Amino acid sequence: SGELYCSLPNPRNVHFESINMKNVLHWSAPEGTGEGVLYKVKYSVYGVGKWIRKPECRNINRTWCDLSNETADYEEQYYASVKAFLNGMCSDWMETARFNPLTDTKIDPPVVNLSSTEKSISIILTAPEKWKRSPDGESVSLLQVYPGLQYNVSVLNKKTKKRWFFSISNNTLVVPWLEPGTAYCVSAQIHVTTPLLHSGFSKEYCIATLKDKTA
Amino acid sequence: SVTEIRSGFTAIKANIQARDPIRTLSILSHPQSLHKVKSSDRCCIIHNLFNFYMDKVFKHCQTEDSYINRKISSIANSFLSIKKKLEQCHNQNKCLCGQESTEKFKQILANYEGLNITSAAIKSLGELDILLDWMEKSR
Repeated sequence: SGELYCSLPNPRNVHFESINMKNVLHWSAPEGTGEGVLYKVKYSVYGVGKWIRKPECRNINRTWCDLSNETADYEEQYYASVKAFLNGMCSDWMETARFNPLTDTKIDPPVVNLSSTEKSISIILTAPEKWKRSPDGESVSLLQVYPGLQYNVSVLNKKTKKRWFFSISNNTLVVPWLEPGTAYCVSAQIHVTTPLLHSGFSKEYCIATLKDKTA
Repeated sequence: SVTEIRSGFTAIKANIQARDPIRTLSILSHPQSLHKVKSSDRCCIIHNLFNFYMDKVFKHCQTEDSYINRKISSIANSFLSIKKKLEQCHNQNKCLCGQESTEKFKQILANYEGLNITSAAIKSLGELDILLDWMEKSR
Protein backbone atom coordinates (compact mmCIF):
# COMPACT_ATOMS: atom_id res chain seq x y z
CA SER A 1 0.00 0.00 0.00
CA GLY A 2 2.97 2.21 -0.47
CA GLU A 3 3.31 2.44 3.29
CA LEU A 4 5.49 5.36 4.12
CA TYR A 5 8.60 4.85 6.18
CA CYS A 6 7.43 5.98 9.63
CA SER A 7 10.50 7.27 11.37
CA LEU A 8 9.41 10.87 11.84
CA PRO A 9 9.27 11.91 15.52
CA ASN A 10 5.78 11.73 16.95
CA PRO A 11 3.35 14.60 17.61
CA ARG A 12 3.48 15.42 21.31
CA ASN A 13 0.97 16.11 24.06
CA VAL A 14 -2.09 15.03 22.05
CA HIS A 15 -5.07 16.02 24.17
CA PHE A 16 -8.58 17.45 24.15
CA GLU A 17 -9.23 20.99 25.30
CA SER A 18 -12.93 21.38 26.07
CA ILE A 19 -14.95 24.40 27.14
CA ASN A 20 -18.76 24.08 27.50
CA MET A 21 -18.35 20.85 25.49
CA LYS A 22 -16.70 22.52 22.55
CA ASN A 23 -14.14 19.74 22.20
CA VAL A 24 -10.97 20.62 20.31
CA LEU A 25 -8.05 18.27 19.81
CA HIS A 26 -4.67 19.90 20.34
CA TRP A 27 -1.07 18.68 19.98
CA SER A 28 2.48 19.93 19.68
CA ALA A 29 4.63 19.49 16.60
CA PRO A 30 7.15 16.64 16.63
CA GLU A 31 10.43 17.65 18.21
CA GLY A 32 12.96 19.27 15.90
CA THR A 33 10.82 19.25 12.74
CA GLY A 34 10.36 22.96 12.00
CA GLU A 35 8.16 24.03 9.05
CA GLY A 36 6.30 21.91 6.55
CA VAL A 37 4.87 19.19 8.81
CA LEU A 38 1.37 18.07 7.87
CA TYR A 39 -1.03 16.09 10.02
CA LYS A 40 -4.08 13.89 9.80
CA VAL A 41 -6.57 13.09 12.53
CA LYS A 42 -8.86 10.18 13.36
CA TYR A 43 -11.15 9.49 16.30
CA SER A 44 -13.10 6.59 17.76
CA VAL A 45 -15.98 6.05 20.13
CA TYR A 46 -14.81 4.01 23.10
CA GLY A 47 -16.18 0.47 22.94
CA VAL A 48 -16.90 0.67 19.20
CA GLY A 49 -14.52 -1.05 16.87
CA LYS A 50 -13.49 1.48 14.27
CA TRP A 51 -11.40 4.59 13.82
CA ILE A 52 -13.01 7.34 11.80
CA ARG A 53 -10.97 9.80 9.77
CA LYS A 54 -11.74 13.50 10.07
CA PRO A 55 -11.62 14.80 6.46
CA GLU A 56 -11.48 18.47 7.47
CA CYS A 57 -8.29 17.72 9.39
CA ARG A 58 -6.46 15.82 6.67
CA ASN A 59 -3.08 17.21 5.50
CA ILE A 60 -3.40 20.23 7.76
CA ASN A 61 -0.40 22.21 9.02
CA ARG A 62 -2.12 23.62 12.14
CA THR A 63 -1.86 21.74 15.43
CA TRP A 64 -5.52 21.60 16.42
CA CYS A 65 -8.69 20.05 15.10
CA ASP A 66 -12.25 20.78 16.22
CA LEU A 67 -13.96 17.48 17.00
CA SER A 68 -16.96 19.01 18.78
CA ASN A 69 -19.38 17.64 16.23
CA GLU A 70 -17.94 14.16 16.43
CA THR A 71 -17.91 14.09 20.24
CA ALA A 72 -21.22 15.85 20.85
CA ASP A 73 -22.89 12.81 22.48
CA TYR A 74 -21.76 13.20 26.06
CA GLU A 75 -23.10 9.77 26.97
CA GLU A 76 -20.17 8.33 25.04
CA GLN A 77 -16.42 8.51 25.56
CA TYR A 78 -13.81 8.99 22.88
CA TYR A 79 -10.23 8.63 21.73
CA ALA A 80 -8.54 10.73 19.06
CA SER A 81 -5.24 10.24 17.31
CA VAL A 82 -2.81 12.29 15.20
CA LYS A 83 -0.16 11.30 12.64
CA ALA A 84 2.53 13.63 11.22
CA PHE A 85 4.03 13.70 7.71
CA LEU A 86 7.15 15.44 6.34
CA ASN A 87 9.17 14.88 3.15
CA GLY A 88 7.73 11.41 2.53
CA MET A 89 8.21 10.29 6.10
CA CYS A 90 5.57 9.85 8.76
CA SER A 91 5.24 9.40 12.50
CA ASP A 92 3.28 6.85 14.50
CA TRP A 93 -0.33 7.55 15.42
CA MET A 94 -0.33 9.30 18.77
CA GLU A 95 -3.49 8.94 20.88
CA THR A 96 -5.24 10.97 23.53
CA ALA A 97 -6.24 9.56 26.89
CA ARG A 98 -9.89 8.47 27.03
CA PHE A 99 -12.00 11.62 26.76
CA ASN A 100 -15.28 11.93 28.68
CA PRO A 101 -17.04 15.13 27.54
CA LEU A 102 -19.22 15.18 30.66
CA THR A 103 -16.40 15.20 33.18
CA ASP A 104 -13.49 16.53 31.14
CA THR A 105 -14.98 19.81 29.94
CA LYS A 106 -14.38 23.20 31.51
CA ILE A 107 -17.35 25.44 32.26
CA ASP A 108 -17.50 29.18 31.65
CA PRO A 109 -18.76 31.46 34.46
CA PRO A 110 -22.45 32.40 34.44
CA VAL A 111 -23.74 35.67 33.01
CA VAL A 112 -24.89 38.03 35.77
CA ASN A 113 -27.81 40.46 35.40
CA LEU A 114 -28.58 42.96 38.15
CA SER A 115 -31.40 45.29 39.13
CA SER A 116 -31.87 47.28 42.31
CA THR A 117 -34.34 49.02 44.55
CA GLU A 118 -33.54 51.34 47.47
CA LYS A 119 -32.63 48.51 49.85
CA SER A 120 -32.08 45.42 47.74
CA ILE A 121 -30.45 44.08 44.62
CA SER A 122 -31.83 41.30 42.45
CA ILE A 123 -29.40 38.98 40.76
CA ILE A 124 -30.33 36.78 37.78
CA LEU A 125 -27.75 34.20 36.72
CA THR A 126 -27.61 32.45 33.35
CA ALA A 127 -25.56 29.30 32.90
CA PRO A 128 -23.61 29.00 29.65
CA GLU A 129 -24.98 26.93 26.79
CA LYS A 130 -23.52 23.63 25.65
CA TRP A 131 -21.62 23.96 22.36
CA LYS A 132 -24.03 23.58 19.43
CA ARG A 133 -23.54 22.56 15.83
CA SER A 134 -24.82 25.80 14.35
CA PRO A 135 -25.97 29.20 15.63
CA ASP A 136 -29.57 28.33 14.83
CA GLY A 137 -29.26 24.88 16.35
CA GLU A 138 -31.18 23.95 19.46
CA SER A 139 -29.82 25.65 22.57
CA VAL A 140 -29.05 23.35 25.49
CA SER A 141 -28.18 24.98 28.78
CA LEU A 142 -25.51 23.31 30.89
CA LEU A 143 -28.18 23.32 33.57
CA GLN A 144 -29.89 20.55 31.59
CA VAL A 145 -26.64 18.62 31.27
CA TYR A 146 -25.72 18.91 34.96
CA PRO A 147 -28.86 18.64 37.11
CA GLY A 148 -26.76 19.23 40.24
CA LEU A 149 -25.55 22.63 38.98
CA GLN A 150 -25.37 25.37 41.63
CA TYR A 151 -24.12 28.94 41.80
CA ASN A 152 -21.73 30.53 44.27
CA VAL A 153 -22.36 34.28 44.43
CA SER A 154 -20.17 36.97 45.98
CA VAL A 155 -21.65 40.39 46.82
CA LEU A 156 -19.32 43.26 47.78
CA ASN A 157 -20.33 46.57 49.38
CA LYS A 158 -17.95 48.95 47.61
CA LYS A 159 -18.13 51.49 50.44
CA THR A 160 -17.55 49.25 53.43
CA LYS A 161 -15.70 46.51 51.49
CA LYS A 162 -17.88 44.01 53.32
CA ARG A 163 -18.45 40.85 51.24
CA TRP A 164 -21.12 38.15 51.45
CA PHE A 165 -21.11 34.71 49.87
CA PHE A 166 -24.22 32.78 48.87
CA SER A 167 -24.63 29.29 47.42
CA ILE A 168 -27.89 28.84 45.52
CA SER A 169 -29.47 26.17 43.38
CA ASN A 170 -31.94 28.26 41.43
CA ASN A 171 -30.75 31.13 39.26
CA THR A 172 -32.20 34.14 41.07
CA LEU A 173 -31.15 35.81 44.31
CA VAL A 174 -32.50 38.88 46.06
CA VAL A 175 -30.16 40.46 48.62
CA PRO A 176 -32.27 42.55 51.07
CA TRP A 177 -31.54 45.09 53.84
CA LEU A 178 -28.91 46.98 51.88
CA GLU A 179 -27.88 50.62 52.20
CA PRO A 180 -29.60 53.05 49.83
CA GLY A 181 -27.44 54.94 47.36
CA THR A 182 -24.58 52.48 47.64
CA ALA A 183 -22.61 50.57 44.99
CA TYR A 184 -22.54 46.82 45.20
CA CYS A 185 -20.46 44.50 43.00
CA VAL A 186 -21.47 40.92 42.23
CA SER A 187 -19.43 38.01 40.92
CA ALA A 188 -20.66 34.45 40.42
CA GLN A 189 -19.29 30.98 39.81
CA ILE A 190 -20.87 27.72 38.66
CA HIS A 191 -20.38 24.70 40.90
CA VAL A 192 -21.40 21.16 39.93
CA THR A 193 -21.28 18.73 42.84
CA THR A 194 -21.15 15.54 40.85
CA PRO A 195 -19.23 15.13 38.68
CA LEU A 196 -17.12 17.67 40.52
CA LEU A 197 -16.75 20.70 38.22
CA HIS A 198 -16.62 24.43 38.76
CA SER A 199 -16.14 27.50 36.60
CA GLY A 200 -14.00 30.46 37.47
CA PHE A 201 -15.73 33.45 39.03
CA SER A 202 -17.28 35.86 36.53
CA LYS A 203 -15.97 39.39 36.25
CA GLU A 204 -17.58 41.82 38.71
CA TYR A 205 -20.88 43.43 37.74
CA CYS A 206 -21.68 46.55 39.78
CA ILE A 207 -24.92 48.40 40.49
CA ALA A 208 -26.01 51.09 42.96
CA THR A 209 -29.09 50.88 45.17
CA LEU A 210 -31.49 53.77 44.64
CA LYS A 211 -31.17 56.82 46.84
CA ASP A 212 -33.45 57.04 49.88
CA LYS A 213 -36.28 59.34 48.76
CA THR A 214 -37.23 60.24 52.33
CA ALA A 215 -33.71 61.39 53.27
CA SER B 1 -21.22 8.22 49.12
CA VAL B 2 -21.27 8.53 45.34
CA THR B 3 -19.31 11.77 45.62
CA GLU B 4 -16.52 9.92 47.45
CA ILE B 5 -16.48 7.25 44.75
CA ARG B 6 -16.35 9.95 42.08
CA SER B 7 -13.43 11.81 43.66
CA GLY B 8 -11.58 8.56 44.37
CA PHE B 9 -12.02 7.50 40.75
CA THR B 10 -11.00 10.90 39.38
CA ALA B 11 -7.68 10.52 41.22
CA ILE B 12 -6.86 7.22 39.47
CA LYS B 13 -8.80 7.50 36.20
CA ALA B 14 -5.88 8.36 33.90
CA ASN B 15 -3.67 5.65 35.44
CA ILE B 16 -6.28 2.91 35.29
CA GLN B 17 -7.59 3.75 31.81
CA ALA B 18 -3.99 3.83 30.51
CA ARG B 19 -3.69 0.19 31.64
CA ASP B 20 -6.59 -0.76 29.34
CA PRO B 21 -5.33 -0.92 25.74
CA ILE B 22 -8.59 -2.29 24.29
CA ARG B 23 -10.47 0.58 22.64
CA THR B 24 -12.89 -1.54 20.71
CA LEU B 25 -14.78 -3.15 23.59
CA SER B 26 -16.65 -1.74 26.55
CA ILE B 27 -18.00 -3.66 29.53
CA LEU B 28 -20.81 -1.26 30.43
CA SER B 29 -21.63 0.96 27.45
CA HIS B 30 -21.69 -1.22 24.32
CA PRO B 31 -23.38 -2.68 22.45
CA GLN B 32 -26.24 -1.36 24.56
CA SER B 33 -25.81 1.88 26.52
CA LEU B 34 -26.73 2.12 30.19
CA HIS B 35 -28.53 5.29 29.24
CA LYS B 36 -31.14 3.21 27.41
CA VAL B 37 -32.19 1.41 30.63
CA LYS B 38 -35.78 2.18 31.65
CA SER B 39 -36.19 4.04 34.93
CA SER B 40 -38.23 1.16 36.33
CA ASP B 41 -35.21 -1.10 35.87
CA ARG B 42 -32.74 1.35 37.39
CA CYS B 43 -32.70 -0.03 40.90
CA CYS B 44 -32.19 -3.60 39.71
CA ILE B 45 -29.32 -2.64 37.39
CA ILE B 46 -27.61 -0.59 40.11
CA HIS B 47 -28.05 -3.42 42.59
CA ASN B 48 -26.59 -5.97 40.15
CA LEU B 49 -23.75 -3.67 39.12
CA PHE B 50 -22.74 -2.96 42.71
CA ASN B 51 -22.58 -6.72 43.32
CA PHE B 52 -20.64 -7.11 40.05
CA TYR B 53 -18.02 -4.56 41.11
CA MET B 54 -17.71 -6.04 44.60
CA ASP B 55 -17.52 -9.67 43.46
CA LYS B 56 -15.71 -9.46 40.11
CA VAL B 57 -13.83 -6.19 39.84
CA PHE B 58 -12.16 -4.68 42.90
CA LYS B 59 -10.58 -7.91 44.11
CA HIS B 60 -8.88 -8.43 40.73
CA CYS B 61 -7.45 -4.92 40.43
CA GLN B 62 -4.20 -5.19 42.34
CA THR B 63 -1.48 -2.95 40.86
CA GLU B 64 2.20 -2.40 41.64
CA ASP B 65 1.34 1.13 42.82
CA SER B 66 0.38 1.34 46.50
CA TYR B 67 -1.28 4.74 46.06
CA ILE B 68 -3.54 3.32 43.33
CA ASN B 69 -4.27 0.25 45.46
CA ARG B 70 -5.27 2.43 48.42
CA LYS B 71 -7.60 4.46 46.23
CA ILE B 72 -9.16 1.28 44.84
CA SER B 73 -9.82 -0.09 48.31
CA SER B 74 -11.38 3.19 49.48
CA ILE B 75 -13.65 3.14 46.43
CA ALA B 76 -14.55 -0.47 47.26
CA ASN B 77 -15.40 0.55 50.84
CA SER B 78 -17.70 3.29 49.56
CA PHE B 79 -19.33 0.74 47.27
CA LEU B 80 -19.84 -1.56 50.21
CA SER B 81 -21.66 1.05 52.28
CA ILE B 82 -23.94 1.96 49.37
CA LYS B 83 -24.49 -1.72 48.61
CA LYS B 84 -25.81 -2.24 52.15
CA LYS B 85 -28.37 0.48 51.62
CA LEU B 86 -29.38 -1.08 48.31
CA GLU B 87 -29.84 -4.42 50.08
CA GLN B 88 -32.60 -2.83 52.13
CA CYS B 89 -34.44 -1.80 48.94
CA HIS B 90 -33.86 -5.22 47.45
CA ASN B 91 -35.11 -7.00 50.54
CA GLN B 92 -38.25 -4.88 50.61
CA ASN B 93 -38.87 -5.99 47.02
CA LYS B 94 -38.62 -2.44 45.68
CA CYS B 95 -35.94 -3.46 43.25
CA LEU B 96 -37.60 -5.71 40.69
CA CYS B 97 -35.67 -6.90 37.65
CA GLY B 98 -37.52 -6.60 34.33
CA GLN B 99 -36.73 -8.57 31.19
CA GLU B 100 -34.67 -5.75 29.69
CA SER B 101 -32.46 -5.18 32.70
CA THR B 102 -31.86 -8.91 33.03
CA GLU B 103 -30.75 -8.97 29.39
CA LYS B 104 -28.62 -5.88 29.86
CA PHE B 105 -26.86 -7.35 32.86
CA LYS B 106 -26.26 -10.64 30.99
CA GLN B 107 -24.63 -8.57 28.23
CA ILE B 108 -22.36 -6.88 30.77
CA LEU B 109 -21.29 -10.25 32.19
CA ALA B 110 -20.70 -11.57 28.66
CA ASN B 111 -18.49 -8.55 27.88
CA TYR B 112 -16.60 -9.17 31.10
CA GLU B 113 -16.15 -12.90 30.47
CA GLY B 114 -14.92 -12.18 26.94
CA LEU B 115 -11.61 -11.00 28.44
CA ASN B 116 -9.15 -12.53 30.86
CA ILE B 117 -10.00 -11.69 34.45
CA THR B 118 -7.34 -9.04 35.06
CA SER B 119 -8.02 -7.17 31.81
CA ALA B 120 -11.77 -7.38 32.40
CA ALA B 121 -11.42 -6.11 35.97
CA ILE B 122 -9.13 -3.20 35.01
CA LYS B 123 -11.44 -2.29 32.09
CA SER B 124 -14.49 -2.37 34.37
CA LEU B 125 -12.73 -0.21 36.94
CA GLY B 126 -11.75 2.23 34.19
CA GLU B 127 -15.42 2.51 33.25
CA LEU B 128 -16.60 3.58 36.70
CA ASP B 129 -17.30 7.07 35.37
CA ILE B 130 -19.72 5.55 32.86
CA LEU B 131 -21.65 4.01 35.78
CA LEU B 132 -21.45 7.18 37.89
CA ASP B 133 -22.46 9.47 35.00
CA TRP B 134 -25.52 7.29 34.38
CA MET B 135 -26.44 7.05 38.06
CA GLU B 136 -26.12 10.79 38.59
CA LYS B 137 -27.84 11.80 35.40
CA SER B 138 -30.94 9.78 36.08
CA ARG B 139 -31.18 10.49 39.80
